[in-house]
Amino acid sequence: MSLTLPRLLLAAAALGAPFALPAAAAPNIRIGLHAPLTGFAAADGKSALQGAELAVAQVNAAGGVNGRKLELVVEDDQARADQAVPLANKFLGSGLKVVISGSYSAPTRAAATVFQKARIPYISAYALHPDITRAGNYVFRTSFTGEVQGKAAAKFIGTILAKKKVTLITLNNDFGQSLAAGFRSVAGQFGLQIVNEYSYAIGDRQFGSIVASVKRDDPAVLYISGYFFTGGPLVTQLRGGGVTAPIVGTEGFDTYEFIAIAKDAAEGVMITTSLDRDSTSPPARRFIDEYESRYRTPANMVAASTHTAVTVAAEALRRAGTDDPAKVRSAIAAMRDFDVSTGRIAFNELGEIRKAAQIQIIRGAAFHHYATIDDPVLLAPPTR
Amino acid sequence: MYYVELLLVGLVWGCTYALIALGVTLVYGLLRILHVAHATVFTLGAYVGVLTANHFGSLAAAFVAAALVAGALGPAIYRLVYQPILDRPPYVALIASIGVVVAMEDGFRLVFGPYGESFSRGTALTATYAVGGMIVSLVQVCIVVTALVLLAAFSLFATRTRAGVAWRATVSDPAMAASFGVGVRGVRYLCFLIASALAGIAGVLVGLLNGLIEPGMGSVISYKCLAIIVLGGLGNVAGTLVASLMLGVVESYGTVFLDNVLDRDAIAFLFVIVVLLVRPQGLLGQRR
Amino acid sequence: MDYYLSVATFAALNVILAVGLNLISGFCGQVSLGHAAFYGLGAYAAALCAIAGLPFGLSLLAGGLAAGACGAVVAFAAVRVREDFLAIVTMGVGFLFLGAVRKQSWLGAEMGIANIPSPLDRWGYAALATGAALGLVLLSLHVRRSWMGRAFDAVAQDEDAARSIGIDVAGYKITAFLLGTAAAGLAGGIYAHLTQLIVPDAFNFIESISILAMVAIGGLGSTLGVVAGAVLLTLMPELFRVVNEYKLLAYGGLLLFVMRVSPGGLAGLVRRLTGRELP
Repeated sequence: MSLTLPRLLLAAAALGAPFALPAAAAPNIRIGLHAPLTGFAAADGKSALQGAELAVAQVNAAGGVNGRKLELVVEDDQARADQAVPLANKFLGSGLKVVISGSYSAPTRAAATVFQKARIPYISAYALHPDITRAGNYVFRTSFTGEVQGKAAAKFIGTILAKKKVTLITLNNDFGQSLAAGFRSVAGQFGLQIVNEYSYAIGDRQFGSIVASVKRDDPAVLYISGYFFTGGPLVTQLRGGGVTAPIVGTEGFDTYEFIAIAKDAAEGVMITTSLDRDSTSPPARRFIDEYESRYRTPANMVAASTHTAVTVAAEALRRAGTDDPAKVRSAIAAMRDFDVSTGRIAFNELGEIRKAAQIQIIRGAAFHHYATIDDPVLLAPPTR
Repeated sequence: MYYVELLLVGLVWGCTYALIALGVTLVYGLLRILHVAHATVFTLGAYVGVLTANHFGSLAAAFVAAALVAGALGPAIYRLVYQPILDRPPYVALIASIGVVVAMEDGFRLVFGPYGESFSRGTALTATYAVGGMIVSLVQVCIVVTALVLLAAFSLFATRTRAGVAWRATVSDPAMAASFGVGVRGVRYLCFLIASALAGIAGVLVGLLNGLIEPGMGSVISYKCLAIIVLGGLGNVAGTLVASLMLGVVESYGTVFLDNVLDRDAIAFLFVIVVLLVRPQGLLGQRR
Repeated sequence: MDYYLSVATFAALNVILAVGLNLISGFCGQVSLGHAAFYGLGAYAAALCAIAGLPFGLSLLAGGLAAGACGAVVAFAAVRVREDFLAIVTMGVGFLFLGAVRKQSWLGAEMGIANIPSPLDRWGYAALATGAALGLVLLSLHVRRSWMGRAFDAVAQDEDAARSIGIDVAGYKITAFLLGTAAAGLAGGIYAHLTQLIVPDAFNFIESISILAMVAIGGLGSTLGVVAGAVLLTLMPELFRVVNEYKLLAYGGLLLFVMRVSPGGLAGLVRRLTGRELP
């Protein structure tokens, strides 16, 4: 055809159009998050939310995922299963392709069934009921199960602290009971003798009877499970009551609030966790430093776990190159050497992670590195 | 020694309960209302106390502030919540009271944050004394002494002062008391004032004992106090004290020896139910 | 769609719980602060049966029977104590149930019971729960108008007077508890299969209070009022999404507001506006 003026103009317009029109913004990738923002677990919910928001901000500041920005869609489940199930359905209804649980075990487990059925990848940040990942191959967990943590503590006490007589003080919920179960299962392996085990309820703040009993037992070391709001008072009362034995706690204490409550009594307390404040790994430092500057309070384990979960989701989306749930699921499952704030992520066939456990100690009112328990056999998560 | 220590722990717990339960009993005796919202003035007193102590560095100021603020909130709750519904069936007041507790707990969380507060190093009573092989903390002593002193003071007030006699008259028969010139309204306000001020002080003491002050600290205790006042015989002050002490001791031994069977709250309520089955009117109640 | 089905199913379960409690506390005047324990009893019984391989229907039946039987036992004890004491005893029963379950490993202790088989799909549960709720509502309406309803009323108004005219007060109290708690047990069984995981915390004292709140807001004694109350309070987290942060504040405020403004609940409001009783 002849090159007439109209056609020339049309061609010029066609060539020039992409430069003349503004580029249409690609829609955000929306990630769902449910956490207990109100109710008895609101403290952990707030930490989880902050950890997640930081992760999203960091990913977006680095350019987003596949050219799109991440957006967090948050719901409050009050740590209840009967709230989590409708919320899970709501997430599905609004077309979310990946969901993170920043909540406790019961709501996470209930929601996991919903997401598995709908074939949407679901990552549990810190809930540790073993059945969560058994819901199916779309469910992952980026933190230790309770049993694994308990085993790490047993090895730590037996081999590094080299103590034999242990008294357990266990929080009466799934968290505490699974930790104690894991501890007990390998205690003999490390020559530990469990002198006695006491338990308390999540609402208890006065432990006089337990303190008196511990003094009578006179163990060489104490292994305590709980959250900062139970552990803080408990440790204070133990020390105040004259108990001088070393105390090994769990990741529930891994927050500055614990130190704020227990003050001097917190000195020397050791905990099993995944967050190493003295870590030199770039992802860990980025998390710890930016969390503190953004929220004006030191980072804690719940925030770190949720930060990890969101980061893993974002990375999986990037690796998959698409937000097709099946491909994202495969990308998550295939992760072998992805470094995050809480260590190196490698999932097994059940969707559980394999990694080393950190032991931190409180010195000078701050958490510091004390030891690392790296024993793949011992710390192997369940595979079925 | 161990068993003695458990006994003492139980008595301290019992005194804590007594300080709080007394207020609930007083309100019940006067109005037949289960004042669950007592938890709110307790928690508010604790927050006011800890913030005052940390800011001014004085524990005495903390107690005064807590008593004042809590003592003001109590009558306010009476005026705004209970007074308009006094003629309704009892469950109305109970539900309204529960509404107050639920709302205020969330309110505390929103205002003070979910992480809670602690006494800063300078103001916490951390002194401990070695007594015959046991370690007793100053806080524990304070609680026992405060409970005994305040209860004795109240007892004197009730029997030896005009206001106290007027009070007891109003409890027995408001109409008759009114016809004798007793200001029934005034007695009611006084009742809430005293009950709430006590709760505020108790809040500071419990905050010191626990080492932590949090939005929900009042809830569990307030529901347990309902059990205590029933156990003691509704409206009976001496019964409340006895029931509080007994419950504290039962919990202390129970949490250690029944650990594998029941948790702490269950032990407490089991005790209450068993007693009520044997003595339906409560420990010191009158058989109707 | 799934979301609405989910909400509707939970609303129906709450209706069953609230109407059941209304039978005990509204019709018969026995204030019960431990209703969630029977919800839990039914859930645990049904879950254990389901895991043992019993068919769905039998598991549900087991849940209802277990809860009803325990309800009757509690009622025997309740007969000895009155009014305010009863509230405390029922509260105690709730704590006892939870406290015991928490410590028994065969009941799952703190971990609860997981992997409960789920034979229905979302539509199935919605239909089942709604059907059961409807059935209970009809039963409740019928009881209200029947001789049993009048006897309940007499017991609620004045026990001594009722006894003096020959009404078997104890028997009626026990019947009321039996019906109400069996209903709660049935709801528990459905809940267990629906969520496939039950933990003790789902049936705690707060839950008992929530159910009582539904009854109080609906109007103690009015079946339809209580239904409205249950539906309203189930939908509240949704309706209050705007005030997400202040959810519990709003909930508590609502309880307070309703008790102050209309102590007879929604039914009382209807009575004041139309002069008619809401059945």
